[in-house]
Amino acid sequence: MKINKRILKSIKTLPPFPVTIQKVMTLAGDPDSSLTELAAVIRLDQAITANILRICNSAYFGLRRPVDNVNDAIMHMGKKNVLRAVVAAGLTRYFRSTKGYDVKGGDLWEHAVAVALMSQICAARISRPDDPRLFTAGVLHDIGKMVMGEFVHEAWQKIQELTESQKYSFLEAEEEVIGVNHAELGGEIALIWKFPDEILKAIAFHHRPDLLADGDAVPWIVYLSNQVCHVMGIGVGTDALAYRAVGDVAGRFGLKQRDLEDMMAQLHKSLQDARELVSIVSAPGKKGRG
Amino acid sequence: MADLVVGISDLKVSSNPADSMITYALGSCIAVAVYDPAAKVGGLLHYMLPDSTLDAAKAKDTPGMFADTGIPLLFKSCYKMGADKKRMIVKVAGGASILDESNFFRIGQKNIMAMRKLFWNNNVLIDAEDTGKNVNRTVRLDMSTGKVYVKRAGGQPEEL
Repeated sequence: MKINKRILKSIKTLPPFPVTIQKVMTLAGDPDSSLTELAAVIRLDQAITANILRICNSAYFGLRRPVDNVNDAIMHMGKKNVLRAVVAAGLTRYFRSTKGYDVKGGDLWEHAVAVALMSQICAARISRPDDPRLFTAGVLHDIGKMVMGEFVHEAWQKIQELTESQKYSFLEAEEEVIGVNHAELGGEIALIWKFPDEILKAIAFHHRPDLLADGDAVPWIVYLSNQVCHVMGIGVGTDALAYRAVGDVAGRFGLKQRDLEDMMAQLHKSLQDARELVSIVSAPGKKGRG
Repeated sequence: MADLVVGISDLKVSSNPADSMITYALGSCIAVAVYDPAAKVGGLLHYMLPDSTLDAAKAKDTPGMFADTGIPLLFKSCYKMGADKKRMIVKVAGGASILDESNFFRIGQKNIMAMRKLFWNNNVLIDAEDTGKNVNRTVRLDMSTGKVYVKRAGGQPEEL
């Protein structure tokens, strides 16, 4: 893959990955770490602490009583959910409106959360353990768009010509015109941010899991979840439904069309429960899609 | 002018000419807009799935989620406000799909078929339609005129 210098330079303008999340990811993965340690790390970052309390009180996490401090939140949620809430709280800063895809920051965030939620619904459906990598990969899968946006904007006319014929997917048009697609670019960002290899792969191949040789299910689950969210029109922009189905994801996971429909119905409920989580990055005046 | 936003799996009806109903970013989902020009009663539905036998509890709780529960409820809600089936103008948009030769993700096509079957069985003619393809659509129903506008992602609103 050849990324031109302007794009590489643009990647470097992204704010660095929050140290707090790095630490929490490490601690949450360490069976010997204590909840007190976790709380201590989180409390050091005020912005994340404020967001995390809002997120924890979302119906999605099912707390019986509202919490007003990090210690209580962690006590009641358990490590896995703390990790989810911290990842969400720390990443909102990257979700800005982007030209090119013509989508608001709040919509991109809603899409990211929807894919993360759908990944969990999908994992449950195919009887896989609740893998914390899925949530992180789901939220971050489109991070490349934050950098790609201005290049898509510049090349908009050419991209539109290619996709309107329906012979090119948006991804293929990005590759043809810009030389790299937003998924690969997301992989580059994940590399700079020193993400574990499995998460990097899930981001970089979220439209093309068929190109990966190994059999890890995570990229396929993220792919499936993302396709469904595009089909449903959740937080998507000009690229909307201009994506291609690849491989046999139905056969791979033993899913029928009806499973897919049921998962869509479940996502509708999950998104309602996660309203507070979604509204952390606000998209004024725009609700409801499909 | 009040903008009534119709969310996913939701429907709204009105007899207020000052209202305008809007539903955003339809992918595979379908918007059904109905309007009785004499009674000036109209409604907008945004359904997501073709068939309520998928989940009886969800269909009862959220009838707007499915074609076969949402569409009848849309018509009945308009009748209650004085609309007459014979006069009702029906316009539909949505049911898009991604590029998919395997057809696994073609929920949009199933949504279109479910709607056509339902209308056919109930002797309802579709007056205008913008369905299929791989585009996102936003639909607006203007209650003072009954006109329906469809805006495709990246484009301008056009009357349907």
